[in-house]
Amino acid sequence: MNIVDTFGHYVERYSDIRPERARWLLQKGWEVQKLRQKATTDRRLIPADRYLAALMMNTMIAPLKHPERSAIVSIFTPCEMLQEAGLHPYNVEGFSCYLAASHAERSCIQQAENSGLSETLCSYHKTFLGAAEKGLLPKPQCIVYTNLVCDANLVTFRRLAELFDVPCFAIDVPMQQNEDNVAYVAGQLRKLAEELEQQTGRKINLDSLKQRLARTRQTMRNYEAFQRKRADKYIPTDLVTPLYAGMTGNLLLGTKEEHRYTQMLLHDVEKAPKAKGKRIYWMHTIPYWSEALAKQLRFQEDAQIVGCELAHPYPPELDFDPEQPFEAMAKRMVYHSLNGGIDRRIDAGIRHAKAVRADGVVWFAHWGCKHTLGGAQLAKKRFEEAGLPLLILDGDGCDRSHGGEGQTATRLGAFLEMLGGEEHG
Amino acid sequence: MAKTTYYVCKYTPIELLQAFGGQCENLNTMPEGFELADQISHPNLCGFGKVLLEAVMRGQVKELVLVNCCDTIRSVYDVLKASGKLDFLYMIDMLHCGDACSRERTVVQLKGLARAYGSYKGKAFDEAKFRAAFVPPKQMHEPYLTVLGARMGTELFDMVQKTMPYPVQNNTCVNNRSVGTMQPPEHVDFDTLMEWYAGELLHQLPCMRMMDNTGRKQLYHDPNLEGIIYHTVKFCDFYSFEYAEIKQHASLPLLKIESDYTVQSSGQLLTRLEAFAESIVPAQLEGKGKKMGKGYFAGIDSGSTSTDVVILNKEKEIITGIILPTGAGAAIGAERALEEALKDANLQREDIDALVTTGYGRTAIQDGDKSITEITCHARGAHYLNPEVRTVVDIGGQDSKVIRLDETGAVVNFVMNDKCAAGTGRFLEMMARTMEMSLDKMSVTGLQYDEDITISSMCTVFAESEVVSLIAQNKKTDDIVHGLNKAVAAKTASLVKRVGGEDKYMMTGGVSKNQGLVRTLEEKLGAELVISDKAQLCGALGAALFAADMVTE
Repeated sequence: MNIVDTFGHYVERYSDIRPERARWLLQKGWEVQKLRQKATTDRRLIPADRYLAALMMNTMIAPLKHPERSAIVSIFTPCEMLQEAGLHPYNVEGFSCYLAASHAERSCIQQAENSGLSETLCSYHKTFLGAAEKGLLPKPQCIVYTNLVCDANLVTFRRLAELFDVPCFAIDVPMQQNEDNVAYVAGQLRKLAEELEQQTGRKINLDSLKQRLARTRQTMRNYEAFQRKRADKYIPTDLVTPLYAGMTGNLLLGTKEEHRYTQMLLHDVEKAPKAKGKRIYWMHTIPYWSEALAKQLRFQEDAQIVGCELAHPYPPELDFDPEQPFEAMAKRMVYHSLNGGIDRRIDAGIRHAKAVRADGVVWFAHWGCKHTLGGAQLAKKRFEEAGLPLLILDGDGCDRSHGGEGQTATRLGAFLEMLGGEEHG
Repeated sequence: MAKTTYYVCKYTPIELLQAFGGQCENLNTMPEGFELADQISHPNLCGFGKVLLEAVMRGQVKELVLVNCCDTIRSVYDVLKASGKLDFLYMIDMLHCGDACSRERTVVQLKGLARAYGSYKGKAFDEAKFRAAFVPPKQMHEPYLTVLGARMGTELFDMVQKTMPYPVQNNTCVNNRSVGTMQPPEHVDFDTLMEWYAGELLHQLPCMRMMDNTGRKQLYHDPNLEGIIYHTVKFCDFYSFEYAEIKQHASLPLLKIESDYTVQSSGQLLTRLEAFAESIVPAQLEGKGKKMGKGYFAGIDSGSTSTDVVILNKEKEIITGIILPTGAGAAIGAERALEEALKDANLQREDIDALVTTGYGRTAIQDGDKSITEITCHARGAHYLNPEVRTVVDIGGQDSKVIRLDETGAVVNFVMNDKCAAGTGRFLEMMARTMEMSLDKMSVTGLQYDEDITISSMCTVFAESEVVSLIAQNKKTDDIVHGLNKAVAAKTASLVKRVGGEDKYMMTGGVSKNQGLVRTLEEKLGAELVISDKAQLCGALGAALFAADMVTE
């Protein structure tokens, strides 16, 4: 049994009998990992991505260290106000991935299913809910969520709020893109600001919020610019870096740290060598735990992931005025690429994939994600019409028991062979 | 002939569509399968979403008004829009809260629909038709059962109604629509009317997609309510959250069933429904007052692999127990097994005062005086074998079930696995085949192991490839079998937790002979399993005991 298995085994064992001990163990384990990170983070990653790994680790440890100053959020909740109110936001997807990486997800999933939750529910949500039920998660100060993108949010966060007995704030985002809907969401965000102030006893300074939104805008532009520049470059990558970019790109958007990350990216990309190998653009999450995937895409010169939908889920033309911070955040939500019909998501995917000169696209049909599953065939048709071969890859980003490693290896292998001809043979 | 405009959600402004001459109908039939739907979407979509895709692709639906209920319906809209198969397709962007702002946004949606539908139909808004469309929903004033949760297909609901001893109200999803309780205000303009209407739609009893759904508690807090059948649809996740809540708090009898919206899936639910009906009105199990003759009572358990017969005497002692393979048909198999049992006990058919049948084939047997589900019979049989047993774990070849019973042997709660083979005898059988060993050999393998292997896939097909890869890695046979036993034990322990299983546990079914699995399950449950040498006769024994109840001196 390796060290991660042993660690996960103890976390799982304690979570059944002494949850506070399991939580302590989890925190200490991740802190040790953070200390080791400097030495263990793969030197093949560019400096910006090594910095990103540390940012991600901090984001996950913060709620364990300071639960009273943490807030659970859904993946695309705008976090600038929470940061302004001194809260550490963390989300279901990131935390569940970390639990799975620590090999502690199985008993959490089992716990959620034992309570009666559906086996077909998204495993990120199930892992998180199970961990909360087992007492593995600390009690946050509050919960902020939105229906945007994923409708499991509507039930998951309500249940979490009941479990923890903490205030829960919801942001209702309509599907259609128009100014009236932006005003509707902006109104809710204003109300949220008041509620957060009341909850934390800390004033949300409007000027400071505007500065944050200006930083958000610059960060988003930097990332877009980096993606354009990487079109001619080879950036070595593993399977978690694109996910980290997706997580911090939402949780830390508006912070100096995230801004610094994108500046580092712009700096590093200039030094990167010329593009080589097949370039894969990835839609939805990545099953980073899969050995079959790692063998073919992790630090491979002949095939690598060059972008992930989660890291830039906005239409390239989206702009907003930081001087109107509530409207700016509302616009980001209403005009989010994954809001509304699947066409918007596909359009954004095609444009982003083309911007990085992807050779092919993987549409990851994550178990339980109905929007991704439902649109899979349409996506295949549309991407291929746009000249981008697309592989629908079934799997699970978090729950190993839904994996079929043999199938993943064959499907992805054949797809890469198809793209690369003999060089991948 | 005018076409039907189909809808799927209770927030659909049906009255508005009727005001433009629409003939509206809730689309709710269950097809045989999803051949066409799977081609244009993905198999892992909620069954009801696939019903819509299938119906449209087969040309059965030409007009459809959807609401952005959930991710599946949103996807269905995307796919149907691209298919171009409909004459009229519209999706309403219904918000998730009911405050003043969302009411305003809903008015915009209503006016948008009115424009699109009016222009499609070539008709203007008819206020008289609008008013006439408001019909108050029916209320129950007598003892009744309710079906809650995700929408239930018409065919399945009919089956529920036929099986239950009380009237059943369908309160699932679209079916608890309450618009119509109030009549529209008089002498107001269209805008004001729509504003009022938006409020009526939004302020219905909330469904699970609404951000504030505390009002749903009234669905299960009614003094006339005698029990709840909670229905979920595979790959529809909203309602499992409410089920988890009700399971924890409601004190009423509760049955959870899941369907995938095909007719086949509902057929498999019949046993569960009948067992539930037997548990809420135990009087149904009592005798028809048959007269005592020679004082012999028989029970036949007609299972998919074996048919078992037990004959009891007046003192309720087992005088014979026969186990025969079922063979080609349940009726013939039962006849043969009964003949064999009578021969063994040296009795004639007319010596048997009462005969109760149970098991999958129970209704195919004409000879019986009564048929009772194997769940109720198993509980009764287990209680006879050991009155201290409170939980029965039955893992057979085809399915596994866990039954919780009270001190009298009556069923308190039960759960069965889905049609998936994971966690059943079939799973172990397939793995034994992969490892090229017999089931007998497998049952004593893995008792001693060196490496604690975890088989992560629960899907039989994926687990098989995991086993193949472990063999390729030269892992020891004992270690692999122990890993497989752990996988089945975990699945079974999860069923036990779901029914709130408690000591003493009895294990029945063919898999109870597997020593390795029994030991792993005991470790997982932290308790010893009672295994009777008559375990396989448990169902037939229970049936024979019910037969004895039917006879009076």
